[in-house]
Amino acid sequence: MWQIAAAGDRALLVTISSTIDPEVLGEVLALDRVLQDRRPQGLISTVTAYASLLCHYDPAVIDGARLAGEIRTFEGRLDATVPTGSVVDVPTRYDGPDLADLVAKTNLTTAAVIELHAGREYLVYCVGFAPGFTYCGALDSRLALPRRASPRARVPAGSVGIAGPQTGIYAVESPGGWNLIGRTDMRLFDQSADPPARFKPGDRLRFVPIA
Amino acid sequence: MIEVVNAGRWTTIQDRGRPGRERFGIPPGGAADWFAAAAANRLVGNHPNAALLECTAMGASLRFDSDVHVAVTGARAAGIETWVPQVMARGATLAVGAIGPGLRTYVAVRGGIDVPVVLGSRSFCQRGAFGGGFGRPLAHGDRFAAGTLIDGDPLPTAWPAGHRLPMGSPWEVRVIGGPHTAGFDGRALQRLSAVACRVSPELDRMGMRLETPSLRLHGNEIITVPITAGAIQVTPSGELIVSLADHPTTGGYPVIATVITADLPLLAQARPGDTVRFREVDRAEADRAWRRLAGWLEMSG
Repeated sequence: MWQIAAAGDRALLVTISSTIDPEVLGEVLALDRVLQDRRPQGLISTVTAYASLLCHYDPAVIDGARLAGEIRTFEGRLDATVPTGSVVDVPTRYDGPDLADLVAKTNLTTAAVIELHAGREYLVYCVGFAPGFTYCGALDSRLALPRRASPRARVPAGSVGIAGPQTGIYAVESPGGWNLIGRTDMRLFDQSADPPARFKPGDRLRFVPIA
Repeated sequence: MIEVVNAGRWTTIQDRGRPGRERFGIPPGGAADWFAAAAANRLVGNHPNAALLECTAMGASLRFDSDVHVAVTGARAAGIETWVPQVMARGATLAVGAIGPGLRTYVAVRGGIDVPVVLGSRSFCQRGAFGGGFGRPLAHGDRFAAGTLIDGDPLPTAWPAGHRLPMGSPWEVRVIGGPHTAGFDGRALQRLSAVACRVSPELDRMGMRLETPSLRLHGNEIITVPITAGAIQVTPSGELIVSLADHPTTGGYPVIATVITADLPLLAQARPGDTVRFREVDRAEADRAWRRLAGWLEMSG
């Protein structure tokens, strides 16, 4: 059952599930599409994440409880097909500052770590946190590593990191706690482009090792 | 032209921000104290979308090369009159000094600050290092022009004292429970409302950390969710992080409550060491509080 809760006085958070799963993302994106198409009165914009969707609304136009009711009518009626699309190659140099640490902690060779990370397709679950930051999953469980105990103050744009069951790409320089294993020259955020982010939830990508 | 003679501590160009682009990871941004910024624009007869300066802790000094109306609002600043329209004569320098009580002081110039619109806004976005004219806070020697975002005449008198927000610690801030209140124990929000939270030095336009040594809140873990300005996240160690205008668009900690829109200006003015107290209200009170501020903005002038 979806949970719909107030996120302040002008937004509702719809929580679809408590798991990270392609089908859950499919449902989130389907709800997002139907809300974009139907545009309930007073709905201003939506933001999606792994298993939830935030609705910004204008309380002068619609009451939060009424909007929640309208959203609720879509529950169980969405075509939550798992997104499929072409797979984008992300050329990646595996030379990140935490690669050696990952090798040591996993008891794998560097080559094996790279092969496990680059050897599968990833689904983009979320673009968020910072401009263009791209959250992907699922990582091979052998590579799962908690976040660094102390985050770095500066992580360069293009850094490829891992944290728990996820891998992700920093699109702009920012602080960050993920374990950095590589870097791409692909530009993931460009404020003069439309859309400004290279990836969107539901996209698929693959890391391609380069020298 | 307007020339920055002294950039102050952290002075940025802001307007109403770029809400609606969170899906690209772009924070909504805009003036942290939206009410003081809107009042400054009203005082000089600007359109609500006009960009202005947000000064932090220590104000900026500006030299004008033609006669222009300006207004300074928000927190009081040394050496300058606030909440009143004034005319800067050609060649004159406007010096906004040390700021306080409160943290942020706004300087509106008639016509607005004319810098390029990036992704729908002139606001500086720190995380993306774009917007705000220079992709950074202002620096000594920066020059920009006043624009043409005019919506009427400057107001003839000072902003009514009764139509301003109280400026000073302790900051009484109203919240609405959620979205993750249910993931905490039943009395968590009540306990949060009963303590004085101290603003830590780790404070910027993205967010504010609050120290609450006596309060040990523990919420259920969540999967990363989209968040809003005013979201009060509780970290596993029980620390509170409250998001401000430039907040990350998603967060990985449960949100026990969210500050109402009408009280975001108060939160934005809290300084390190200040006290913040939260009080739970319902949506009806949040709406009334917002309409009250909107009414002040309409009535004046």
